[in-house]
Amino acid sequence: MNKERNTTFINLDNVISISRGNTNRMIKYLNQFQELIPERLQQLKKALDNNDRKQIRQVLHKMSPQLQFFGIQDIIKPIQRLEFEYDTMSFLELEALGNDIIYKLEGATKEVSQIIESHFE
Amino acid sequence: MNNFQPTSKTIKCVIIDDDPFIQELLKDKLNQYFPDINIVGLGNDGKEGLENIILLKPDLVFLDVEMTDMTGFEMLSRLDTINFKTIFITSYKHYAIKAIRFNALDYLLKPFDLEELKNAIKRFKSNYHKVGKSEQVGLALNNLNTKNISDQILPLKTQQGDLHLALKDIIIIEGDRNYSIIHLISNRKELVSKTLSDLEDLLSNKGFFRCHKSYIINKTHIVDQPNSISINISNGMNIPISRRKKESFVNWFKTAKVL
Repeated sequence: MNKERNTTFINLDNVISISRGNTNRMIKYLNQFQELIPERLQQLKKALDNNDRKQIRQVLHKMSPQLQFFGIQDIIKPIQRLEFEYDTMSFLELEALGNDIIYKLEGATKEVSQIIESHFE
Repeated sequence: MNNFQPTSKTIKCVIIDDDPFIQELLKDKLNQYFPDINIVGLGNDGKEGLENIILLKPDLVFLDVEMTDMTGFEMLSRLDTINFKTIFITSYKHYAIKAIRFNALDYLLKPFDLEELKNAIKRFKSNYHKVGKSEQVGLALNNLNTKNISDQILPLKTQQGDLHLALKDIIIIEGDRNYSIIHLISNRKELVSKTLSDLEDLLSNKGFFRCHKSYIINKTHIVDQPNSISINISNGMNIPISRRKKESFVNWFKTAKVL
């Protein structure tokens, strides 16, 4: 739990640091998260449904830097595992890791939306 | 003096990445910390990247390794001339990093540690006039297109300057603390400022094997194995195989392709 800002999934230290007190810049990064991550989550769900391992790797690879930037640390290792073992991992394990990532990203997306609503609208 | 001489906003830079988050983040970091860098263009994929480069003639290009329409290397190979320096950008431990490191190209990991970015810009400025802008990338593109691995060229630095070695010319590499001595055909030797571990990392999938804490051997130059603890090499040397490497040496020797 990121106590100061009452968040569980995300940590806004990097966003605050790059924004340097500029609210517009901060909202730019938060909006971008809200625009890009749900779309990529849908792509990930679809790829998992279709057992499309190459697409799973590509979606995760694309998302990974933004998730690191938003401090969602405990899914970085599972993402890296999926990126490197996507073609050898058993489907059961792949599905379990994928679902855990989806759960955490849905939580992170909700938190970002709440922050936008409560602080910037 | 060879260093880049910025006056104001003198370094023209283009960012090519298909992720809008990465574009924005890099743009903000460059604007905040590097006032002498002027971002003149953003490319959303390889095609736009090519258009930006041709039209805007940048000094520096930050180039994504893996884009939706093509790889960064494919994009570069489509240019007739390369009059800029490239810093590749990629996510953590991408498979292309090995090729980037083998070819001594510069790269940054997303989402960009500030100190690493500062160091990369510093290297760009100090090397801008030292090395031909197209030379390093041209060498990398040639290596990537060379089917026979032993014909690939390994770029290294020595005290005398840059050294380009064909892998087939390397017989063995001998470790010497923070340096390595490369034994070449025609009894030539070169001292390079890389450890044996650095070189093992660069060469392990290219027909080379670290058979001992002090030696890396090139399979092409193995003559025979008189016993289980040593091998004879084409230059007449007898190289030891360490006890703990005996089994992995046998496996490697059986499976590694003769290049």
